[in-house]
Amino acid sequence: MTTYAFLLDLARCIGCQACVAACNVGNELPPDVHYIEIKEQTRGVFPDLRGSFQNHRCYHCGDAACVTVCPTGALYKQDGLTLVNPEICSGCGYCVEACPFHVPKLVDGRVSKCVACADVVKAGGTPWCVKTCPNHALRYGEREAILVEARQRVEAIKHRFPKAQLYGERESGGLGVILVLPEDPEALELPVDPRPTAMVNLWQKVVQPASIGLTGLSLAVTGVAAVIARRNHMKELEEFHRRFQARLAEEEAQLTGPGGASQGQATLPDEQSEKEV
Amino acid sequence: MATQDLVTRETPETPEGPEAASLPLHHRILRYRPGQRMVHWLLATSFLLLLLTGLPLLWQPLGFLAAGGYTRLIHRIAAVGFMLVPVLYLLVDWRGARDLLVESFSYSRDDWEWLKHAYRYFMGHAAEMPPQGRLNAGQKLHHAGVVLTSFTIVATGLLLWLAKDRLGANGLAITAMVHDISMLILTILLIGHLYFTYVYQALPAMLTGYIDEEEAYLEYPKWVEEILASMAEEKRAKREERARQGGDD
Repeated sequence: MTTYAFLLDLARCIGCQACVAACNVGNELPPDVHYIEIKEQTRGVFPDLRGSFQNHRCYHCGDAACVTVCPTGALYKQDGLTLVNPEICSGCGYCVEACPFHVPKLVDGRVSKCVACADVVKAGGTPWCVKTCPNHALRYGEREAILVEARQRVEAIKHRFPKAQLYGERESGGLGVILVLPEDPEALELPVDPRPTAMVNLWQKVVQPASIGLTGLSLAVTGVAAVIARRNHMKELEEFHRRFQARLAEEEAQLTGPGGASQGQATLPDEQSEKEV
Repeated sequence: MATQDLVTRETPETPEGPEAASLPLHHRILRYRPGQRMVHWLLATSFLLLLLTGLPLLWQPLGFLAAGGYTRLIHRIAAVGFMLVPVLYLLVDWRGARDLLVESFSYSRDDWEWLKHAYRYFMGHAAEMPPQGRLNAGQKLHHAGVVLTSFTIVATGLLLWLAKDRLGANGLAITAMVHDISMLILTILLIGHLYFTYVYQALPAMLTGYIDEEEAYLEYPKWVEEILASMAEEKRAKREERARQGGDD
């Protein structure tokens, strides 16, 4: 199966905001919603400062925490990308909390995030951000080809950025955005291990299926047992009724017979049966 | 009544006395007062709504029901009803609420014996069980479980409602897991509850408030004997009262 990916070359990003503008306009986003956010990052101590731009966006994780926690399937994986079906989103916000990159947002009660311009690509086009980037920091294509190009780019800048490296080839099951980093991921505020946390996996992959399974098992066991147990109880009730009546008849005989005397014990006559207990 | 009797007696005894002969099946004992029934059905309704509106978030085949967040709205309305149950119970019948709580957390030697043989009760054999009071040991455990898990499910539910955006990925996962597990326990308790209701045909008691006398004898002999004893006591008191009045005249 062919998977697709973006190339994001942070060594080439000049922070011009062109991709942000193109994305906002192309996707007709409301004024306060952005799928891409660019932040200037400065490191070091004056006068030895180094700068770069954070091009924050959905990284389309292979092992996506948002997809893992999504209860409805509104977030799903396809061709290596993380897509959204807002129609079935319940607005629970689990994805907002679970994403290691803090990407998904709720807009009007539904999840909202980059879907790699799925419609544009389907029609044979290129995602808006890629098309607009004036400095070739962005590319889009088959993931294998993107990886090859990303490796070449890393090699090409090693002399200027000794710590240059790839990010996203294996992180979180392989991201759908392959980044060329001029620095360590930590220096660029990227998580080292963006997989869903162990707790999230335990919750979604153990506790939830086990809850459904054990509930189903209880239903099955009681369903079968109910038939047998009810029959048993009806039988014992009948037996009890028989003994009860026999006992009553015996007592009545004793009472009405010669020398029969009241035992004087309380019983449950009508007017007293409604007594509060 | 003699406590010694309660511990040693193996099988329930039938009532004795002049009126006893005319009793067959037409006598019922009040088991649930109207307030108790109302609180029960509020709990049942809110719990079922909570279960049905929570399930879509757990079981993807039902996930489509959650679309748009309407199930969340119903879930929160039902949650308010669920949290009102103990408050309402205390308001309409605080004695009943107190008795239920106290009894559900006190277990006699008969209760422990009963629990050891609970599988026999599970299979529909109540007759040879150790004699039980108003609540059998299984019902006590059931209520105790409901009370305890209600605390964890309400606490985590309120966190998910009011502070979800401050929990972080792990906090959300842990809170939701405790919520899920609490609900699993409550759901299994509910399935057991429905099971025993069916096996021991207990539904009419919660609808009308009355339990058939023979069934009460079979399942809760100590309770019935307590009632009989208190009625005998009342009778004797009345008789003495009458005698005293007669003597005064």
